[in-house]
Amino acid sequence: MRYIFVIFSLVFLTFSAGLAQVDTLGADSTLLNIAPPAPISNLTVYDKANDHGHALILEWKPSPDDAAGKNTVMMYEIYRSESPDGPFENIGSVPSGNSRYDNIGILEKEARDYIPDNTDLYYRVDAVTINPEIRTSSEIFGPVRSYSNWFHRGRVPVLFAVLIFGGLMMYFVSVARKGAELYVRPLAGIAAVDDAIGRATEMGRPILYILGLGTADMISTIASFTILSRVAKQVAEYQTQLIVPCYDPIVMTVAQEVVKSSYLDAGHPDAYNDDMVFYITTNQFAYVAAVNGIMMRELPATNVYMGKFYAESLILAETGAVAGSIQIAGTDEVGQLPFFIVACDYTLIGEELYAASAYLGREPLMLGSLKAQDYAKAAVIILSILGIIAANFGWTAFTNIFKVLD
Amino acid sequence: MKRQIPIFLVFVFGVFMVFQYFSPHEASEWIYKFLMDWIYIIGIFAMALGIWSLIHVSYDKIKHKRHDWGYSVVTLAALFTMMFFGITGFNENGEWGFYFMTQEGLTNPMFRNFFNHILVPIETTMFSLLAFFIASAAYRAFRARNVLATMLLVSALIVMLRFNPYFGDTFGFYMNKTAAWLLNVPNMAAKRAILIGIGLGMVGTALKVILGIERGYMGKG
Amino acid sequence: MKRTTLILMALVVIFFALSWIFKAMAFKGVEEHYILQGFLVTLAAFLTLSIMSFLYKDNPFYKFAEHLFVGISAAFWMSMGFWSTIVGNLFPRLSEGMSNFFKVHYIPGDYNFFFYVPVILGILLLMRLSRNYGWISRWSLAFIVGTTAGLNFIRYLRSDFINQVSSTFVPLLVDWQGIGHFFSSLNLSASGQFIMMLANWVIFLGVMCGIIYFFFSKEHTGLFGRASRVGIWILMITFGASFGYTVMGRISLLVGRITFLFRDWLGLNI
Repeated sequence: MRYIFVIFSLVFLTFSAGLAQVDTLGADSTLLNIAPPAPISNLTVYDKANDHGHALILEWKPSPDDAAGKNTVMMYEIYRSESPDGPFENIGSVPSGNSRYDNIGILEKEARDYIPDNTDLYYRVDAVTINPEIRTSSEIFGPVRSYSNWFHRGRVPVLFAVLIFGGLMMYFVSVARKGAELYVRPLAGIAAVDDAIGRATEMGRPILYILGLGTADMISTIASFTILSRVAKQVAEYQTQLIVPCYDPIVMTVAQEVVKSSYLDAGHPDAYNDDMVFYITTNQFAYVAAVNGIMMRELPATNVYMGKFYAESLILAETGAVAGSIQIAGTDEVGQLPFFIVACDYTLIGEELYAASAYLGREPLMLGSLKAQDYAKAAVIILSILGIIAANFGWTAFTNIFKVLD
Repeated sequence: MKRQIPIFLVFVFGVFMVFQYFSPHEASEWIYKFLMDWIYIIGIFAMALGIWSLIHVSYDKIKHKRHDWGYSVVTLAALFTMMFFGITGFNENGEWGFYFMTQEGLTNPMFRNFFNHILVPIETTMFSLLAFFIASAAYRAFRARNVLATMLLVSALIVMLRFNPYFGDTFGFYMNKTAAWLLNVPNMAAKRAILIGIGLGMVGTALKVILGIERGYMGKG
Repeated sequence: MKRTTLILMALVVIFFALSWIFKAMAFKGVEEHYILQGFLVTLAAFLTLSIMSFLYKDNPFYKFAEHLFVGISAAFWMSMGFWSTIVGNLFPRLSEGMSNFFKVHYIPGDYNFFFYVPVILGILLLMRLSRNYGWISRWSLAFIVGTTAGLNFIRYLRSDFINQVSSTFVPLLVDWQGIGHFFSSLNLSASGQFIMMLANWVIFLGVMCGIIYFFFSKEHTGLFGRASRVGIWILMITFGASFGYTVMGRISLLVGRITFLFRDWLGLNI
């Protein structure tokens, strides 16, 4: 019913628009005898740059009759053929006043308007009046071909960033490998991890390690795995109990692997069993409900939250605080940081989470990458100052360097 | 063998994805699409591991009659019942079988009932508990222990009380303006600084993973 | 079990039954399966209250709701994953017979054999359950981690790094029209230009100090240390502001739940 109404209104609107149009043409002109409009000129068709192909762009100079006072052109219809002699197929239209049409096909062959690549194509644009019978075709443009591009030129700034950052990383890793001493400032949250494990051992209570809601492919979860491997190793050495409830099955699989090898490294492979790292469910609040239960029943000495957290952060951290556990958190989810800061004893803010894995390991290679990150930060500060000067004096050439195209 | 091949695979696929970004070519787009689909499909296989772990842990608890083992029976019963309703249903002709979605929606009404009357109420209640937890967290913040905590508390108070009508026109106006300024100006600065840091940290970690320097996720730190 | 616990349990059971009866009577004539509907709405209310009871302390009702929730949600998620990914995405690519069996459209394609790869990787992942060949599952993990590490490497380099850096490029002297105009008109505070300029300066200096706070390999002493101190102040002020900002939103969630209890279950119009 609603559709009938919509169609009816559309038909009505089209008619009334048409009648209004006729009125402006003068009393003696009717729908049937409008003079054919002048054709469009300067039609050019070219391949769309930086794309996966199957796309061409048409540009033209509008018909002289497409202007104020002489509004006889209602729209332009675009026709395409694989041969200059036709048959030409209507592939789309734009209202008058336009001088460009993006003929973009989709990758799938089943798509309605599939444009073959590397094939000669011919285009024509018709200037169409209110009476679709009365129209003037442009000259045929062609042949033109659509290509798939191997390199996206609009993304060069990113390429430079990759090269610069990759270079910095390689350099500092190799410096670190040669045995240079690299200073890192102390991080309170990291020092707390060691103390917390010791405390758990003294109290004879377990350590609860939460990897968050992230999937195994999220970088914050990967950072968390590295931290887990240190924690697990120490836990194994102290013979304390470790509980790792998981939200995602792949994360669980990886975490089992991580904890298992840490126990092996610590020389206690027999102390490990797969039930230390277990799956609960992939539902945010069901997971929270279960972890809350664990916190209140097992009363862990320490809760460690590292990874990706969403709204559940506060529920978890508050319950842990009520249970009297020492809590250490770290996340890159900016919106959840305030809750961790309020409810936890130590919080690693953003980048500190990534740095933590390097801190805990004290491996020169990892520390080398921290140094690379610091140099990149220094570069940011310098670039920002230059950028602000450039913006103040209107040097767009500088700011344009950072423009990345889609 | 056990470690080299995975590290090699990580390197190959990681480097490919970096190149893929710079190449809009059709072939590269297709491979990208395939890889993303693959990850989803592998994820479903992993699901079996998760369910297995859940069943195993619960069964173990029941078998050894550990503390609170009765609740594990509840978990298992709920799991199997819901799975049964989730995978089977009645088709248009009223025949029972492996059906799920039809044009009318879910075929098994019990699946929908369980979703609407067990899953949704518990989920939203858990979420709503946040109101209490944020109150207790605010109380915790009140006992500001140091300068930093005090700064956090003061700015939280200003934003929390920005619409409070008891302040009167003048003071209320300044309160509101200060809150808006806090939410716009320092907030923007801090978020940007954090995001730049996170961006670098992520990029650094991703690069370390691709180059095989960070192997914690493979059980080798 | 203590006597008080037993009495409490009995009371809950009686109350549950009463509610079921009353709700069923209320639904009679409105719903087809009114007895079932009465039960379900009562169950929803019971579970809501059970979860809320956790605020007092951990108790058998919460434990029951929690374990039920875990089982139901895991199964829900598994069935959805099975139907949407395996039946919806994989079978239509691999087998016409399976597609017909599950009544989904078979998608013929030249590259469908590529979809055997994730099946193989998935099976390798399941090898984890084997004691001796568990290490093979790392291959599948390596595929996932490698692919997404590459993807994330570029994504964050672009969105969090290049975009954030370039958005710090704002003029610190607002409406800069040469020194003469800027100082001669002296309308800084009157037109709000001063406020704008101040904001831009605070943002710029804030970002700089914030970044300095995140330096790991340099000692935070002297001027550098002071900047880093300012950086952490700005972070804390921001965390406070976003904490305060979230409070109202969280309270509205609770209002939603209380509305359910009073209106949908008890039938009170408040």
